[in-house]
Amino acid sequence: MGKYTRKFNELSSTDRPLVGGKCASLGEMVQAGLPVPDGFAVTVDAYEDYRDASDLRQQLLRIVLGADAQNNDSLQQAHDEAVELILGRELPPAIEQEIRETYLELSRQTAQRRGVGDADRIPVAVRSSATDEDGDAASFAGQQETYLWVVGEDDVIAKVRECWASLYTPQAIAYRSGMSAAEASDASKIAVAVQLMAHADVAGVTFTVSPRTGDRSVIAINASWGLGQAVVSGEVTPDEYWLNKIGPTLTSTRIASKAHEYVPAPGGVGVELRDVEDSRRKVACLSEPELMQLADIALRVEKHYGCPQDIEWALEHDADGTPKVMLLQSRPETNWKKRKEEKGKNTTKATSNLLGFVTAAAKGSTK
Amino acid sequence: MTTTDSELNENSVPVQNGPQERSFPDPYEIETPEGAEGWEEMYAYHNRFLPTRRAEDSAKTWFRNSLHYPEVSYPFDQVTIDGAFTGTGVTNTRVFALPPAKGLDVRVINGYTYMSTIPSPDDEEQARRAEEFGKRAGYYFENWDTLYAEWEGRVTGAIRAVHELEIPPLSEFEAIERVTADRGPSQGNLLLSAYHRLLEHGDQIWTLHSEFLNLGYAAYLQFLTLCKEHFPEIDDQTISRMVSGVDVLLFRPDDELRALARKAEELGVGDLVQAANNEEDLLSSLGDSEAGKAWLASLDESKDPWFNFSYGSGMYHSHRSWIDDLRLPIQAIGDYIVRLRGGDDLRRPLDKLQAERDELVEHYRSHLDEDDLPAFDAALGLSRTVFPYVENHNFYVEHWFLTNFWNKAREFSTLLQTWGFWDDVEDIFFLRRAEVEEAIVDLQMAWAAGGKPQGGYHWPEIIKRRKEIYEALSNWNPPPALGPVPGEVNEPLTIMLWGITPETVERWLTAQDGGSSRTHLTGFAGSPGIAEGRARVVLRPDQLDTVQEGEILVSPVTSPSWTPVFGRIRGAVSDIGGIMCHAAIVSREYGLPAVVGTGFGTSTIKTGQLIRVDGDAGTVTILDESTDV
Repeated sequence: MGKYTRKFNELSSTDRPLVGGKCASLGEMVQAGLPVPDGFAVTVDAYEDYRDASDLRQQLLRIVLGADAQNNDSLQQAHDEAVELILGRELPPAIEQEIRETYLELSRQTAQRRGVGDADRIPVAVRSSATDEDGDAASFAGQQETYLWVVGEDDVIAKVRECWASLYTPQAIAYRSGMSAAEASDASKIAVAVQLMAHADVAGVTFTVSPRTGDRSVIAINASWGLGQAVVSGEVTPDEYWLNKIGPTLTSTRIASKAHEYVPAPGGVGVELRDVEDSRRKVACLSEPELMQLADIALRVEKHYGCPQDIEWALEHDADGTPKVMLLQSRPETNWKKRKEEKGKNTTKATSNLLGFVTAAAKGSTK
Repeated sequence: MTTTDSELNENSVPVQNGPQERSFPDPYEIETPEGAEGWEEMYAYHNRFLPTRRAEDSAKTWFRNSLHYPEVSYPFDQVTIDGAFTGTGVTNTRVFALPPAKGLDVRVINGYTYMSTIPSPDDEEQARRAEEFGKRAGYYFENWDTLYAEWEGRVTGAIRAVHELEIPPLSEFEAIERVTADRGPSQGNLLLSAYHRLLEHGDQIWTLHSEFLNLGYAAYLQFLTLCKEHFPEIDDQTISRMVSGVDVLLFRPDDELRALARKAEELGVGDLVQAANNEEDLLSSLGDSEAGKAWLASLDESKDPWFNFSYGSGMYHSHRSWIDDLRLPIQAIGDYIVRLRGGDDLRRPLDKLQAERDELVEHYRSHLDEDDLPAFDAALGLSRTVFPYVENHNFYVEHWFLTNFWNKAREFSTLLQTWGFWDDVEDIFFLRRAEVEEAIVDLQMAWAAGGKPQGGYHWPEIIKRRKEIYEALSNWNPPPALGPVPGEVNEPLTIMLWGITPETVERWLTAQDGGSSRTHLTGFAGSPGIAEGRARVVLRPDQLDTVQEGEILVSPVTSPSWTPVFGRIRGAVSDIGGIMCHAAIVSREYGLPAVVGTGFGTSTIKTGQLIRVDGDAGTVTILDESTDV
């Protein structure tokens, strides 16, 4: 493996500056023996060397710093120019060659393992992998692009470039236009994850802490039909499953009416949003054994990282219907302490007074 | 376990149309039920709403104490009500100076007990009380185990004293020694004094009862609050499982029955025991053989103290105990023999329960930050220190002591009965404590003079009328609260012990305004699981023998002595119950779903209806309207 691509199984969280948070976390999970679809990172160096191979870096910087953040037309114009530059400029052969080779290797190995015919065209997901620690800043900076069911080496190259181009959405330009040249350059470092597509018929998000109260003994699972995009983007109201980590045991279920789902497009390339037929809409999309499998894996992820996690996953089914959980991403859940503190305010003054007195009186009785 | 969107909406608290428009009935406007005219004379003036105090008493909120006093009070039984409130009051207010809480005002209306909190002290007074509380409660927390052991000695001493209290026979002549030796008080003097001794014990037992109680609850509440701060979604039953002992005195009587079943099998008399319905059957079928006698000896050993176990809360003389009526324990032993033969060893897996409890604690500890562990461990440790008292005081006082107390009162009644005061020994309970004293003075005077007491000419009419009144009051449906809607319900012990929260108050108001569902009840999730079955409404302990295999028990409140019945039912629903509720504890022990504190279970559900108990969600649903009425 060269300078521009790194396989997931070689990565750990310390590689974040090189491969971005998403790839580093996927690598970390692979190393921990967790079920993650195989794949590789297109490193930060790939984009950096691409920018430096010509005067691209200076031109992009000029576009960004020259844009008027208050003016939508100006931002849109800057966006159009930047995207044209990134998608149009020749990719240095060393970079392009390495990405193509790594994809083909992944594709062929996978085809061999699965026994599939077309060894060079195994579908993958291509996603941006932000280097920024702060997820909120990353979303401003436009590093949240995802392309599903990408097939073949040419398309992979195209989508990698589109991930790079996604750094230059109008709002990302506005975000960086107020920065110094050095800051703006740093804020536009990006890596890309290329990962085998999970053949998900159900997908969703698991929190290993209650998103409503910050209770760490709780697991919350949101799930809907099809690929996970629908849940993550909020396009459907997902089913909610609440579990206690002891057991784990299911404590409550709320079945939503799930109107839409993302499925692979008929041609085998890309995805499409379609209506869910009536017979499946109001049906629980997860069975109890599937929930237990999800909860079990979520607990392993949490244990590995040592703090509450927000996990994206997909559920594949073998030909005989055996469910298999695939992890697509895991991030630390950082808001739970805040929520817990808000909830703690419910303790009334009368109660906290009494408890204060008891605590004081009980000092010395340590048993 | 599945809730739909529409159900979630139903559970949300409705918007109030201005709180000033809503209130509970004014206690002074409560009407006397037809046929109960004159009920007031059954209770002392201090228990009644006095017209001259209306401005003050109408301005307060009064909660019905249906947890301890679900039934109409008998005039004599008011001894335990007054005593219990005095005990809590003095312990909070005068002994430990609990800073934020004093005692309760108590009133009886139409025979039912209502209570109202004495306002919390202001900040300055609380600070003063806190200083005292620190010294006093601190002493108890530090020396808890020693003090608790001493307490057990004092309580069993009081029980023995009542049991052994001698009632003079009022014989024709005083003993010769009265002349030649002691020259002490007469049998008449001693009779009055014995009655005073009985009342003294009946009064002082409540100071003992309360001695550790609120300290124990406060310590437990501390742990509970801490758990909820860290784990906002944890349920109360999980918290109590982390604290509660696996070997609790209240399970002991049931354990004795299991042991007796095993013993019967060992001795080869299982068939005879199983065929018996009552004590006479046992004596006649077992009295002749050696094995039979050996088993009867074991029974006698178990009976004292373990059958001093009330069929009800113990608070009413009418509840009686196993030791007074052996039918339920005998039937239960029979059931256990059947289970033994089916291969069940009947042993409660104490080690396993203990291991589960430790595992549960470890689980929650593992989700705490390092910094939070010391406080968690300290609060858990203190809770476990206080819990044996919290769990066991009930057996000592409400069951063992009160069984003896009521039976001693019956001994006085028997004496009065032989002197023509009344026909039925139970009649004494229709007299107030002060009236019983008058009757005893009457008897004392007549016996002394060699004449005939007035009682037989006075009491029978009054008792007859009071029985009619009692019946009429029993059919009345007392509101859960009286007076204005409370501004805020926040006194933590009230919330924990009575299950009175802002949500309960809201539910009561909704039900009162006709807004509650006739097929759907909400309560506390007492014990997990879901069960469906025919309802059996049991309002009083003497209806217990109507419970059939596979039914769901619906009752105002359950007593620990009903435990053997839990082997027969599929689930339980109670009107009353906070988190320390017995129905919940026993249901968990038996793995039965239970919903407690529904408020209106017994008035909504009819015997024979098919109902679903959801012990996870805390709901009860009536599935059909059919009844066996």
